[in-house]
This record gives sequence, structure tokens and C-alpha cells, in this order.
Amino acid sequence: MMDLAKRTSRRRWSIVISPILLIAVTCYGLSYGSVSVSLREIWEVFTSSGEPLAQKIVMNLRFPRVLIGLLVGACLAASGALLQGVMKNPLADPGVIGVSAGGGLAAIMCMIVFPNLSYLLPILAFAGAFLTSIIIYLLSWSSGSSPLRIVLAGVAINALIGAITNGFMVIYSDRVQAVLPWLSGGLSGRSWYHLSFMAPYAITGLILSLFAIKTANLMLLGDDSAKLLGQKVELQRLSLILLSSLLAGAAVSVAGLVGFVGLVVPHAVRLLLGDDYRFLLPLSIVGGASLVVFADTIARSAIDPIELPVGILLAVIGAPFFLYLLKKRGVANA
Amino acid sequence: MTAIEANGLTLELGPFGLKDLSIAIPEGEMTAIVGPNGSGKSTLLRMISRLQKPDSGEVIIQGRDAGAYSTAQFAQTLTMLTQSKGQMPDLTVREFVAYGRSPYKRLFDRMSEEDHGIVNWALTLTGTIRHENRMFHTLSGGEQQKVRIAMALAQKTNILLLDEPTTYLDLAHQLDLMEMLQAINRDYKLTVVMVLHDLQQAAAYCDYMIAMQRGRVVHTGKPRELLTPRFLQEVYRIDAKVAFEDDYPVIIPIRSGAKPKEEPPMIIVTNTSQITKGEAHKLIERFDRVGKVEYMEGFLGLEVHLTENTKEYDEVSVVTKWRSKEDFQAWTRSDAFKESHAHRKTPEFIISNKISFYEVKIVREPAAVTGESSNAS
Repeated sequence: MMDLAKRTSRRRWSIVISPILLIAVTCYGLSYGSVSVSLREIWEVFTSSGEPLAQKIVMNLRFPRVLIGLLVGACLAASGALLQGVMKNPLADPGVIGVSAGGGLAAIMCMIVFPNLSYLLPILAFAGAFLTSIIIYLLSWSSGSSPLRIVLAGVAINALIGAITNGFMVIYSDRVQAVLPWLSGGLSGRSWYHLSFMAPYAITGLILSLFAIKTANLMLLGDDSAKLLGQKVELQRLSLILLSSLLAGAAVSVAGLVGFVGLVVPHAVRLLLGDDYRFLLPLSIVGGASLVVFADTIARSAIDPIELPVGILLAVIGAPFFLYLLKKRGVANA
Repeated sequence: MTAIEANGLTLELGPFGLKDLSIAIPEGEMTAIVGPNGSGKSTLLRMISRLQKPDSGEVIIQGRDAGAYSTAQFAQTLTMLTQSKGQMPDLTVREFVAYGRSPYKRLFDRMSEEDHGIVNWALTLTGTIRHENRMFHTLSGGEQQKVRIAMALAQKTNILLLDEPTTYLDLAHQLDLMEMLQAINRDYKLTVVMVLHDLQQAAAYCDYMIAMQRGRVVHTGKPRELLTPRFLQEVYRIDAKVAFEDDYPVIIPIRSGAKPKEEPPMIIVTNTSQITKGEAHKLIERFDRVGKVEYMEGFLGLEVHLTENTKEYDEVSVVTKWRSKEDFQAWTRSDAFKESHAHRKTPEFIISNKISFYEVKIVREPAAVTGESSNAS
């Protein structure tokens, strides 16, 4: 809660800063790594007059990876922002309540059992994520859903899916090697091929999420008020869950289990700009995209030559923040 | 004309259910729904506004079945101020009131000149336009309530329901709100229906009153005609006088210490049987199986007396206490009673049998003993 003048000026600033942030973080992602490429060289690469080595590093390795990072972060943050609205719960995040894990399980099964069908990964991850969110929603429903029950049901489902995933990996231990790096969440080795199969889903989801802004705002007023204002609340809730599952599924299908982006980013934006989804959603998308690329760049250049999975780095940032939120807001809202 | 009609509304919902409830609410007037806590007033409003589905029965809004309206149409016809404030997003007063235009907007419609005009109108009418740029949550409870009414007005409906709009407000804000609603009702012919706890305010400001008790409508009519000591006794079970001070109704409760505590009369039904000597226990055992008297409405208690003072026979009296004779008769007509008395002959050990009724008046604290500190009840 903040006063109007502060909110207005922050919202104005955010519109100016967003594109700058995106460009800056993209440049950072393109130039840093085991071989540094200067901004000038990057410029030359894009105007197709660069030297072959820089050309190769930037175009073949870093650029697709940065683009994937941007999309993954954007999807996760948008998914988290929408889930928090629809479940009326500040702790709802695709990673925390098991939606990502559901998508992940579906994706792992696909990779292990039908390794040739990798182009189906996003759809399967989406189906898994969607099914999981519906199960959580139904489990927590008892004449209305309560924030506390959603988190409890989500944590339980998350644990259950984790167990099934592990069981699966033990049974197919011979084929696990391909899946393992994917599980901890990372962008290592992602290329144009990966981008080409996840981008359609991610971009569709992100565009659709802009259509959801008004609905998400009305839901903030509460179910009864939204109904009295002529909204088909149950239908809208279902479509928002579908949409956030699509977004989480798209991210999971290529980056694996990257956690906490959907929790940390929308929350930071909320604290700065308020609950209004007209600002919350676009700014979360920008913030999520920037955070993932930034973290991924650090992850691959910090302890060179070892490359940390970005998921681990994000969990290190995200877990304490989650505890902070739990202490600050979770109890009051439960 | 009736704005709202309900026929045979029934809902099983614990203590707040409705039982075959039918009402007609007049158009363009202020209607108050009153009744004790848990009588189903809010449930009724939620059903009228389609927030709660009845198990059976129908709601007709302006001559058309409520279910036949599309969601948006319905929100353009009727809206409600709920009791729960829900979450409070950080919005300015103007932004909040502008949500009232949602039923008229499709996904990407922007606010038109007309919409802004209507929002201004609603803000002006409720006197909240001076706060239009303040954050909603910084307002006092009374002002917030007015802003919520402004949002409802911005929906431009013909019917406005309000669920206890004055409950958490101080007296000045309560009266302010009632005056405001009355003015809007008169100037714009808006049909206003509200659940109110303050009977005096209900009678002073409303044209029509519906009294509910245990999920049923028990009285309807003009509030000033309804508001009598008998009404208060029947609906709220309180003893009070009703006076009009400068044409404003005043309810004056009669405190229990101020007069002997008098309970409503009670009916005692004594069923005395003369039984063959030594066989009284048979009747007493048999009585255990007589049907479900303890579930009957108006049943107050049961005693069994055994007298062994004559040489020829024993006397067993089964005494039941009832609120009224009708309640007792309802028991004798009940299925459980018939069940337990069917296929059964009078056993031989009963020599004779007599049933007597007494109507008694109970005075627990006679005036003579009542000191000043005797209102402990």
C-alpha cells in the first residue's frame, strides 16, 4: 500500500526503465562468458561485418541462449503473477506448488520413453502442468478455496510428483544421463533448435496473458464482487489456470525446473508498483526475462570453466525471499 | 409493479437455509429485510443476486426469470453490496468506482466519455468526489462504504441490494448513509432492498418491510404498521414498547428487572393410567419406544411419575410439557407417533386411562421478592 504520488511516479519510471533494462541485460548476456565479446564487436556481428569467431560465439551460442532465457523468465514470471491472482495467494508460484514439477514429470516421461518425440515436449509439459494445477485447485476446494489450503495441497502434490519422478529415474536409470542436467534447471547448450520449438508456445502464452489483465484485476475484488460486476468467474478462473499452465509448461519444456522466478519477480513488482495487473503483468514479464538472463550469465561465467545450472543460482536467491514472504504475508492471508 | 419476485425458494444450508420462501418486492421503493441473526436474510439476498443457487424455487427479476439473463445483462439490471469487503487492491477512489462500468465493457473497450460522466455522477451523488484521487484504503469505514455504493451506482442498475450496509459504521455515518440511499431512491426511482439490523432505521427510512425467522417470511407490510410490541415478541422474542418521537419510531425494551419475569404460558398434558399392582414397570418400559417426542417443535420436557399408594392399583402419570396445545396435537398427528401406536392393543395391565390438559402461567420472580438486583436471568 502506498500513496498515489509515489505510485504514479514509480509507474512512470518503470515504463522508461523497462526497455533499457531488457537491452542492457541482453548485451550483458551476449558479451560475458569464458570469452568476452565487446559491445562494439556485438554491434559488428549484428550488422554482419564481425570477425568469424565473435560471429560464431554470439550467433550460434549466446544469442539463442539469451533469447531462450528471456522467454523462459518472461513465461515463468507471467505464470506466477497470474497464479497469484487466480489463487488469491501471494505464495502461488509454478515451482512452489508443483505446477512446474507436473510439467517436468510429463516432459521426463516423454524424454525417456519417446526420445524421438521431443517436438511434443512443450505440449506434454503444458498438459502435465495444467493437470497438476487443476488437481491442486480441486484438492484445496471446500466451498471456496483458501490460500493456505492451496499452498498445503500444492506442497504435498509437489512432493508426490517429486517421488514419482525419482521412481521413474530409478527404473530407467540407463537413460537418465540425458535428463539429469535438465532436472536442475538450466540453459546450458540450448540452441536455435530449442528456441524454435518453445517460442511459439511461449509467445502465444505471453500475448494471451495480456488479454487476461482485465480479468485478473477484477478477480482482485473477490469472487462475489467480480460476479456482481458481470464476470463469469468460474470460467475465467479456469482459463487463467490454463494460461498459466501453458506459460509454465513452455518454460519447463526447454529450461527444466527453474524455480522461484514466478514468485520473486511478481512480488518485487507488486511491492514497487501495486496490484494493478496493467502494470504488474508487463513489468513482471520484463523483470522475469531480465532476471533469468542475468542469472544465467553469472552462472556460466562466475566459476569458469564450470557452468552452474541457472536453476541452482535462482533457488539460492529465491528460497530466502520465499521465507521472507511467508513470514511477512503468508500468515496474515492464510 | 414488483421488481423482485421469489417463489418457493428452498435451500438446505444448516441453520441459514430457506424453507419454501416466497416474496414480492415492490419496484422503486425502499424495502428492509429484518429478522434475528441466522434467519436467512443474507442467504435470500445472495439468491436474488445469483451468488447462491437455491435447491428449488425461482427468482424473477423485473418479470423475467433471473437465470434467463446473461451474466452481463444481469449485472446491468441488479447489483449488490456484499457484507464482506473482500481484498482491497490499492486503487484510487475513482479507479475503484470505474470498475462499476465493467458489465458494459468488452475485453479491450476503453472508458468512454459517457462512462466518465457516469462515474462522475456516482461520485457526486455519494459525496465522494472530493476523495476521487485518494487511495481507497486510506478512507474511513463510512467513506469506504459510500465509495462501494458509488461503484454499485456506476453499474446503472434498476435494483440495488445491500447486505447490512450500516453494520460497522458509527451512528452519524449510519444516518448519513440512510439519508443518502433514500435521496437516491426518490430521485432516481432505484429499487433498494437492504438487510438491516436496526428496526428503527428500517421503519424510519423504508417503505416496505419483510420480517424473516428461521428461513421463513413471517410478516410483510408497511414498517410503521408492522412495528408493534406483538411483532417484537413474535419475531425477536423480546418485550418492548414502540413509541413515535417526532415521527421517528423508538423501540423501548422492557428490562427483565423492571417487571416480574413472565414466561409465555405452557401446556401440561398428563396421561394418567391405573395399572395392575406391581406391573407399572411394564408401562414405563413401553414408553421408551413412543415416537420421537423430543424432536417435536414446542416440546419442553417430559416426566414420568409412579404412585404406589393404593392397594388395588399403581398409578403412572406421563407428563409432557408443550409451548402450545397445537404443538402437542401436531405430535399426535406425526408419523412417528402413529407408527408407535399402530398395531397395538391396550395391554391388559392398564385398568383405566385418563388424559388431562392444563394451561399454566409461570411467574418465576414474583414482584414482591424482586429487588433491584434481580435482573440476573
